[in-house]
Amino acid sequence: MVIVDAAGLTTRELNGRLKELAASGQEITVLNPHAGHNIAVGIFESCRIQITGSVGYYAASLLDGPEVAIDGNAGWALGENMMAGKITLTKDAGASVGSTMRGGELFVGGNAGARAGISMKGGTLIVGGNAGFLTGFMMQKGRIIVCGDVGEAVGDSMYEGAIYVGGEIGSLGTDAKTEEIGEDELLDILATLESHGIKQRYTFTKVVSAKKLYHFDSLERLEKTVI
Amino acid sequence: MCGVGGILYKKIGNQGTSPVGKDLVKMLESMTHRGQDSSGFTVVGEDIDGDLVLRIWTDDPAQAADVLSMAEEALQKAGGVVRTRSAWGQFLRLTIDYEGEIPALAEAILNTPGVALHSIGETSEVIKDVGTPVAMDGIHSLSQMRGTHGIGHVRMATESRVDVNHAHPFWAYPFTDVTVVHNGQLTNYHKLKRMYEDQGHRFQTGNDSELIAVYLADKLANGDTLDSALRSSLSDLDGTFTYLVSTKDGLGYAKDQWSAKPLVTMETDDIIAIASEEIALRGVFNQEIDRVEPQNNEVMTWLL
Repeated sequence: MVIVDAAGLTTRELNGRLKELAASGQEITVLNPHAGHNIAVGIFESCRIQITGSVGYYAASLLDGPEVAIDGNAGWALGENMMAGKITLTKDAGASVGSTMRGGELFVGGNAGARAGISMKGGTLIVGGNAGFLTGFMMQKGRIIVCGDVGEAVGDSMYEGAIYVGGEIGSLGTDAKTEEIGEDELLDILATLESHGIKQRYTFTKVVSAKKLYHFDSLERLEKTVI
Repeated sequence: MCGVGGILYKKIGNQGTSPVGKDLVKMLESMTHRGQDSSGFTVVGEDIDGDLVLRIWTDDPAQAADVLSMAEEALQKAGGVVRTRSAWGQFLRLTIDYEGEIPALAEAILNTPGVALHSIGETSEVIKDVGTPVAMDGIHSLSQMRGTHGIGHVRMATESRVDVNHAHPFWAYPFTDVTVVHNGQLTNYHKLKRMYEDQGHRFQTGNDSELIAVYLADKLANGDTLDSALRSSLSDLDGTFTYLVSTKDGLGYAKDQWSAKPLVTMETDDIIAIASEEIALRGVFNQEIDRVEPQNNEVMTWLL
């Protein structure tokens, strides 16, 4: 295990060091992140990184493989565009957590801010607490699981994917609706939660696209054939 | 983009003043990635030698001394008696005794060509300039300013030009000790500005953030509490905003309906700190903290 003290390093130096160490396969612990921005960004090797403290914006974004465990808060856009891997956060995340993520698993122990999972394209985002306004906005694929409440306009303009809410829904977003959860689906969700130490068996409401404004499977005029 | 920050030291017994200037410089300097072209601060709860403290500026570097003297004369003609005076470059700080109405005093000063009035306060003043907080500290000795609370700002101009006047905070003329800093853009600025000008309100700049100060002044003049004025602003102001307001007795914030601009807050037994980003709070609390992120359409005020 290697310890990297972020104090006194520029972001470029820190991330450069992390990339080097990730390639070597060692487990890494980052000290004193001091809520700084862009920590552990753009790492493509599977490795384990432990960050002991709060991070700022875009932490652990653009990842493709690593497991990043953060003990603290995160600012905006934690895990943005994650391709594969796992991110866990013990406390609260700011707005836009898991923004445009494409794969992997992102777990927020506390609350998440507005626009959680905005434009998600795959993977699973889990929030142990509450999530904010416009959760799942423009979601295209993947799952969002919120154990607590969500704010107004959940699932607004979503295309595909599903949002599972354990608590209260402030309001449904444009073209969002609720749907029954299948038994296997629910078991899968509960198993996922249990893997993060959440044993409570929540009653989830499933939010999906109502597809009334969804026209992406419509044919172009020239594609239509007369039958 | 802009960054905002504020701090309030809660009253514990008879404690004097706290290092508000120093704290604000640290908080805002850690957010210069959000804006570097200008900074500004309001320090509240100072010991003022006199009834009022005024911050005046001239846009004329060559004739600064003369222009500022003229402003001072105008102020004296309006009934102000100068107690202390300090001038550096294009900046003038005066503490005065004054018995009359604030608008009359302000108009006398503003009718002097080339003069801008950054603030009039019983216990607070606005210090703003181009440059970063640390650079400003060197020129304006912010770290030496003490009080009970204050707000600060770093600017990345997006809607209007960069100059000393266009920096935040904006003073809610003519309400002494009410100032505003803003992160965001107001999309109904021009419409509301025209409306307020028609009603006789004065705008000193083309900065949309100044509208918030005028809006609050108008609400307060109509008898609204600060809290209720902040609440109405959530629907009256169109655009994106997280803004902080300082008054004689406290601080407040308003967050727009979109949760478009960030804010985090932290409260202990002794201090309340609020800022655009957690890294700024770490300037005051140099350890891991539990911070709260306010949600959309949220307003809060704290009193001493």
